[in-house]
Amino acid sequence: MESASLPLGHRRSAGSRFDRLLRPLAFLSAPTLLLGVLFLTPMVVMLVIALNHGVLSGQSGFTLSNFTDAISDPLYREVAWTTFQIATIAMLIQLLIAVPLAYVLAFKVGRWEIPLLLFLVLADELNPMVRIYAWRMLLGREGLINEGLMSIGLIDAPIDALLFSKFSVIVVLSTSYLTYTVIPIYAAMKAVDRNLFEAARDLGAGWWTTSRRVLLPLIAPGIFVALLLVYIPLFTDFASPTLVGGTSGYMLGQVVNDLVLETGDLNAGAAMSLLMLAASALFAVIAYRLARIRQLES
Amino acid sequence: MTGIGAEARPISIGSGTAPPSEHRLPFRRRLRRRMPAIASWALVGFALVLLFGPVLMLALFSFNDSSIISLPWEGFTTRWYEEAWNNQQARDAIVNSLFVAALVTAGSLVLGTLAAWGLTRLRFRGRAALAGLHGSVLVVPWLIIGVAGLIFFSEIGVALSLTTVGLMQLVVTFPLVVAIVSAGLVRFPRSIEEAAVDLGASQGQMIRYVVLPQIAPSLAAAGIFAFAWSFNNFEISFFTGGFEQTFPVWVFSILRQSENLPMVNAVSTVIALAQILAVIGAWQLIKRLSRRRGSQDDAIQELMGAVR
Repeated sequence: MESASLPLGHRRSAGSRFDRLLRPLAFLSAPTLLLGVLFLTPMVVMLVIALNHGVLSGQSGFTLSNFTDAISDPLYREVAWTTFQIATIAMLIQLLIAVPLAYVLAFKVGRWEIPLLLFLVLADELNPMVRIYAWRMLLGREGLINEGLMSIGLIDAPIDALLFSKFSVIVVLSTSYLTYTVIPIYAAMKAVDRNLFEAARDLGAGWWTTSRRVLLPLIAPGIFVALLLVYIPLFTDFASPTLVGGTSGYMLGQVVNDLVLETGDLNAGAAMSLLMLAASALFAVIAYRLARIRQLES
Repeated sequence: MTGIGAEARPISIGSGTAPPSEHRLPFRRRLRRRMPAIASWALVGFALVLLFGPVLMLALFSFNDSSIISLPWEGFTTRWYEEAWNNQQARDAIVNSLFVAALVTAGSLVLGTLAAWGLTRLRFRGRAALAGLHGSVLVVPWLIIGVAGLIFFSEIGVALSLTTVGLMQLVVTFPLVVAIVSAGLVRFPRSIEEAAVDLGASQGQMIRYVVLPQIAPSLAAAGIFAFAWSFNNFEISFFTGGFEQTFPVWVFSILRQSENLPMVNAVSTVIALAQILAVIGAWQLIKRLSRRRGSQDDAIQELMGAVR
């Protein structure tokens, strides 16, 4: 909150407009310049490229065809649908783990609370590529899970669907962002007044009713923050589907990569990137609004 | 799901023994009473296995004396570590990543702290817009920033190299420092700064003796997160990188070409171990820095600040 007092140092050189202008400039010119040159300008350049005909097409001038082609191509629609499925299922799995886990961390583990939170932070610090590599080792045709199951006689032949499938992408993605799903929900849990639980119980509510009617509305902002932090990286992920997805787990991030680096069609790649950016922005605005509204209500 | 209303006082594990009367209860009632605690720990165990099990297996099999990563166990060896040590590409990749991460961390701390101070302590027109600009970087997917960077550099004719990687990583990493340090600055009342100035402290003294000690834990947390973000960053290094590979790009290119190699297990194990030590070290540092301010809760706030 802005206090009523003037900014520091301001009262000594009271009213100096020079000071008022110079001070923000001293602190913010370098960061803003960097963002302007290497964040905003590349975005604008990408938009211009996306609005231009490709070099290969032999035409020149502005066009919307890169966007309309991307939207109308049935192949891309199918990929978009796969991407939506994978990202949504991975998100739901994470929420199914994260909500009870956040509850347990906040209220049930006593002195283990901080060590377990550190474990969560550590899980995020571990290199994602190392994690993908480890899952590939476990899930492969000759991987440890198949070999293990065969050696104890549960299965006769390796289960091929474990790796290079939608399943493996979902497994890898669900474990990649768990930290960012749990911690906002945990923070919301910590803010809940626990007397409410007892009050609900005294009024005759069972644990299901208490969870649904008392706890869930209170932690809803945390859930929306988790969605905001996790769902966007999930649906733009490109390394995991490339390394464990095979042909059935082909996602939009790979389309961008293939257009830009394999085909060399920068214009189409830029258009596809911007469409994904627009979808992310739309999603972010909705999640942010919901989080804010919930916070105001409670 | 654990029962929320199932017990009068939530039993915290390890906080003591069960009440004596419990021994006389029939086994099923005892089990029933213990169910919430058992379910809680089962869930914690499940999550830990999901998060760390694969990496532990990876570490285990870096010592297996077999050139394919599979059962049965062929005996203990350290030859994969020797092979990794002698692999020039692996060494280059790690050195490149450490180099970039060190520079990006230093740059992010400077730029991020400047911006955080400007955005939280100064009032000027356009402040909200600038804060929004810094925040928006954190929401745009790295894939898209990477592709935009690639297109931008190719349009202006700049060759891709570790420099372009470092610059683009700086762009996505320093707003994280802005977020963490701003949160630290907002938490402590600026009246203390004003008091210092009123008591005759110069701007420099005020920053040195009042502000820095207060935001030191935030700076430490921001530093460790910035380093990890840069070191682990794949998308941006992949799209805006040239010939010199960073560590994640190196692992990616190996995985794309071939099956898993035990040598990569060995390298990954060393990296994971270093990251575990880094997190523990950072935690100790943050705890020490925030001691004068209060509890462990404060310290954990700092660590989690990056995530929220």
